[in-house]
Amino acid sequence: MSTLTIQGLRVEVAGKEVLKGFDLSMASGEVHVIMGPNGSGKSTLAHALSGHPGYRVLEGSVVIDGVELLDLSPTERTRHGLFLALQHPMEVPGVRPVDLLVAAGAEREGLLERMRSEARRVELRPEVLERFVNVDLSGGERKRAEMVQLAVLQPKFAMLDEIDSGLDVDALGAVARRLQEATTEWNCGVLAITHFRRLLQELTPTMIHVVSEGRVVATGGPELAEILEKDGYEPFRIVQK
Amino acid sequence: MKNFTQSALAYIADHEDSPTRLEAWNTFSALGLPSTVDEVWRYAPLGDLDLDCFTVGAPSEAPALSAFAHELGERAGLVIRVVDGDLVDVAGSLEGVSVERSESTWSPKYASDAFAQLNCALSPATITVRVADATHVDQPIVILNTTRGDSSFPQMLITLGRSAQVSVVEYLDGGVDSLVVPLTEYDLADNSSLQVSTYQRLDATAWHVARSTGHLGRDARLRQAVISIGAHYNRSRNDVEFLAAGAENELRTTFLGSGHQVHDFRTHQFHRAGRTHSTLLSKGAVADESRSVYTGLIEIEKGAKRTDARQTNHNLLLSPHAHADSVPNLDIRENDVMCAHASSVGPLDELQRWYLESRGVTRRDAERLMIQGFFYEMLATLPPQLAEVVERDLGETLGHVEIVTP
Repeated sequence: MSTLTIQGLRVEVAGKEVLKGFDLSMASGEVHVIMGPNGSGKSTLAHALSGHPGYRVLEGSVVIDGVELLDLSPTERTRHGLFLALQHPMEVPGVRPVDLLVAAGAEREGLLERMRSEARRVELRPEVLERFVNVDLSGGERKRAEMVQLAVLQPKFAMLDEIDSGLDVDALGAVARRLQEATTEWNCGVLAITHFRRLLQELTPTMIHVVSEGRVVATGGPELAEILEKDGYEPFRIVQK
Repeated sequence: MKNFTQSALAYIADHEDSPTRLEAWNTFSALGLPSTVDEVWRYAPLGDLDLDCFTVGAPSEAPALSAFAHELGERAGLVIRVVDGDLVDVAGSLEGVSVERSESTWSPKYASDAFAQLNCALSPATITVRVADATHVDQPIVILNTTRGDSSFPQMLITLGRSAQVSVVEYLDGGVDSLVVPLTEYDLADNSSLQVSTYQRLDATAWHVARSTGHLGRDARLRQAVISIGAHYNRSRNDVEFLAAGAENELRTTFLGSGHQVHDFRTHQFHRAGRTHSTLLSKGAVADESRSVYTGLIEIEKGAKRTDARQTNHNLLLSPHAHADSVPNLDIRENDVMCAHASSVGPLDELQRWYLESRGVTRRDAERLMIQGFFYEMLATLPPQLAEVVERDLGETLGHVEIVTP
């Protein structure tokens, strides 16, 4: 059983404070969903946690099983169990997915077969994984390819930045089912960032956190998604003093 | 201190049956070594070049083959061994292919090129590989070109008859503290096709000043790859003349600079006939305090209609002390043509690296993967047995250099 605890996280992007004291705590096997309007700081959270060079942490703490991640390099953060699936996974010309995964620590033995079978689980044509990382892949294929990486690397916690944007209904279903299965397969904790409720049709949230103005303003069970669906984010908006 | 001139004149006197040698030497003496004031030599560390560090002598005995040369030779149909510029052995035989050795007559063609004149004066012989008309050779021809002595001046002609087709791999090694000045011509008759890959892996102390010229007949196709890792100063000039319609040239130059190396690439694609096509891709990385320059000229003659010429040069900076220059030039005297060039100089992409790191790849491995990726498209077109070795060598060299990125 692992825990991920984010406390008082403040992050600056291009000189502007975007996260203003973010708190969240979760355990393995749980599914936590972060919802919020554009500009509320959802993606900033994902990028800051994985050490993106453009994001500066001002204050706070992110701990997995007693290890402070913010003291670690992006590589070490991932190796300590936090994996980020991106909204716009990057093209890396000349690098093959299999070489990336081996360098990331995956067991070489039987790797190609595992990649192919994971590809099939998210309805991705396995041949796509023979291309260079994300090169000439459609938006949907890239996200499914991120799921293949996730399944091969089996991190303690998977953070998904708008994994649902740009996916059609079938793809979304496949990705959501794969994540749900991960929670039992290797007890993966899932932290999904999304705009939309439709991800939650196949992925059962343990908790939903509503984010506004860079911090969590409401936390609750799946019923929170229904309220958001009905009333939108307006009732949760923090009035700037 | 050695005396280059004395040994050169002694060598020429020993070969007095060849009248053009002294002529070439005199032309060289009149020209003198180029200086960096001369635009085409402005990046060369010519101030460090002292000919009296070298002597000219009889070719050495053939050394034992290196493991790689042996491996390369094993998969070849014909292995030609050249030591200190002279032909020492031809192993194997291929139907329709002959190898000859003759006195050089090239000097008048290179009247203004001091190093070419030096080659013409001091080269033991012109080594000609001739492929007969309509001969399709399946197995590659391998040329193992070793420098054992202080200097070597290989002169090589590869000539293809009409509709002939062959792949040649040339490998240069040796060259400790020596001056290596190869002069090469590729003559392609109508409709012939030559794939030639030259891998320069000379010792890091060598001065390498190479020049090659392709002459392409109608519908002839020259696919040329030049890969350079070795030498202290590596000059590689590769020219092509498109003599008749439909001729095609693809030239790929690849280099990796480390230490204080200078890689100096020159190209001249001279389109003298219409419907000719040149594609030029130069890709290299410079590490440590090395530098590179790529200067390419595309020249299109009036009347060479529907010529298509493209030039691309990408340089990867692996250290803030490394430097790369890219100087594309166009001289177009015809309107009905397609011509394009692109170049870039920059470090590894920080976000791509972060992406790999965020998968759990270490920074060092992420950089290694990205650099290998940068070279991938260059290796993909090489004959497989050469690509494997080049990849291994690149990896080994990269293992020694400190990669410094923003």
